[in-house]
Amino acid sequence: MTLFHAIYASTVFVVAFVLIATDRLNKTLVALGGATAMFLLPVINSHEVFYSEETGVDWDVIFLLLGMMIIVSVVRQTGVFEYVAIWSAKRAKGSPLRIMILLLLVTAIGSAFLDNVTTVLLIAPVTLLVCERLGISPVPFLLAEAFAANIGGAATLVGDPTSMIIGTAADLSFVSFLSNMAPAVILVLCALVALVPRLFPEAFIVDSERIADVMALDEREAIRNHRLLIQCGLVLVGVFAGFVAHKQIHMEPSLVAMTGAGILIVISRLGREFYLSSVEWETLLFFAGLFVMVGALVRTGVMDELAHAASHAIGTNALVTTMVILGVSFLISGVVDNVPYAATMTPIVGQLTSSMHQLHNHDVLWWGLILGTVLGGNLTALGASANVVIIGIAKRAGNPISFWEFTRKGAVVTATSLAISVGYLWVRYFLLA
Amino acid sequence: MHAADIVEEFPVITIDAESLDAVRMIAEQSLPGILVVDASGGPFAVLPASQVVRFIVPRYVQDDPVLAGVLSESVADHIAERLSGKMVGAMLPEHLVDVPPAEFDDTILEVAAKMARLRTPLIPVVKHGRLLGVITASRLLAAVLKS
Repeated sequence: MTLFHAIYASTVFVVAFVLIATDRLNKTLVALGGATAMFLLPVINSHEVFYSEETGVDWDVIFLLLGMMIIVSVVRQTGVFEYVAIWSAKRAKGSPLRIMILLLLVTAIGSAFLDNVTTVLLIAPVTLLVCERLGISPVPFLLAEAFAANIGGAATLVGDPTSMIIGTAADLSFVSFLSNMAPAVILVLCALVALVPRLFPEAFIVDSERIADVMALDEREAIRNHRLLIQCGLVLVGVFAGFVAHKQIHMEPSLVAMTGAGILIVISRLGREFYLSSVEWETLLFFAGLFVMVGALVRTGVMDELAHAASHAIGTNALVTTMVILGVSFLISGVVDNVPYAATMTPIVGQLTSSMHQLHNHDVLWWGLILGTVLGGNLTALGASANVVIIGIAKRAGNPISFWEFTRKGAVVTATSLAISVGYLWVRYFLLA
Repeated sequence: MHAADIVEEFPVITIDAESLDAVRMIAEQSLPGILVVDASGGPFAVLPASQVVRFIVPRYVQDDPVLAGVLSESVADHIAERLSGKMVGAMLPEHLVDVPPAEFDDTILEVAAKMARLRTPLIPVVKHGRLLGVITASRLLAAVLKS
């Protein structure tokens, strides 16, 4: 590969990244267009795209996403999510603050195991219903749920596409991911719960007569298919057991997810329009295009150069490197979609991890990247797909949320998350190591 | 057979009328929809009954139909209250605004093709720009069976 190839690949990538970040064109078309441009010289060939671990499409991520999307498609037919959300709202006995806290905890837990976007798509209609019954604005609730969805997504390997990209590339096991990230996520979530009364001080005034309207909701009516609910429960237990034991059973999480999806399709006997209802083919194509573009940068040596430059700039101090990765990730993924950022940074952090020899915890740079990339998505309305979805839902419901309204609240949540992440990484991986 | 042969008089409503008035007309006369006219009395839009039904369903129920069941019966019985204060203009589906009318000398097939393309339950008929009346889907089908 020549310098010309490197410049060409970098130019294509930067143009595509800017177009994706500014949302001027459909991002899937941009990613596929950028991937096609990489074939033109050719900068990368089909073998490198389809079969190479270093430069190719990360099929583990694609199929992990696909498997989980199918599983979610089937699970949502049961109505269990709506049941849990309404049951939680009723447990709060009509107190808007308690309802918000319970709903955001449901969102965060759901988001840890399901895709963030799916989680907010499931929780938002229930939120609108409850707020309408109470006669209060749903905006604070929707914002809190967007924040909670992004926070929860950092807890597990399958909680967020960004977590999947980084975790798969770093070969992190489900258990390792959970044991390292869940404590940080729990701390950030506790902080969010403490913040919400201060973030939304006027959101919790309600006419006491409206509380009965919420208590009159019947969550049992949400469960439409008890047999399917039991089937989904059993399969989900098996899938997550498979995730936990995937190293021992020598089965990548992608295969575990696809196996679970296949079993659910067969035993549920649902039609294709149901079991594929949550599969976002455009998103999968977007990821494929993105991987090809990043692979081309690896192939042309651009990533090597970037990693060397980063290493020179930051130095070899592990603590400094971790904090720089964390801080930069928080900032950048807060203003651009965190998925392309994660895909770009993964090979760079991989190189940095390989070159740093005095890491007490070999994966600390990855933990910094994950926390920064996933939690940083709360900064602005553009930082994460879940934010964009919430904004769209709020607008359709007649309660628009402006970019600055989101950013004002998001900045507080993100700053708090950053402070907690800095403290967590420093204490766990340096002070106590 | 031409459009003028099967056109019939039909209730109309103005765009700035109360939506509840439109709902009453549709319900009381079992209409498939209603013709919305502009200030000059010319055809402006078609408001199908199904669109009105859609309007009374809360957005969150349209996004998640499961939630229709969790609402109590008393709430469900009062969903028409969602229409109070709303004008007919707010309910109009985009694809049926400025609906091109059928001409008085259009054949039945031409009328049917327009209705199929626009997915409308009724279509206004004009002669030299003046509203003659309306052809509903059921009237069209009756004419088709007769011929």
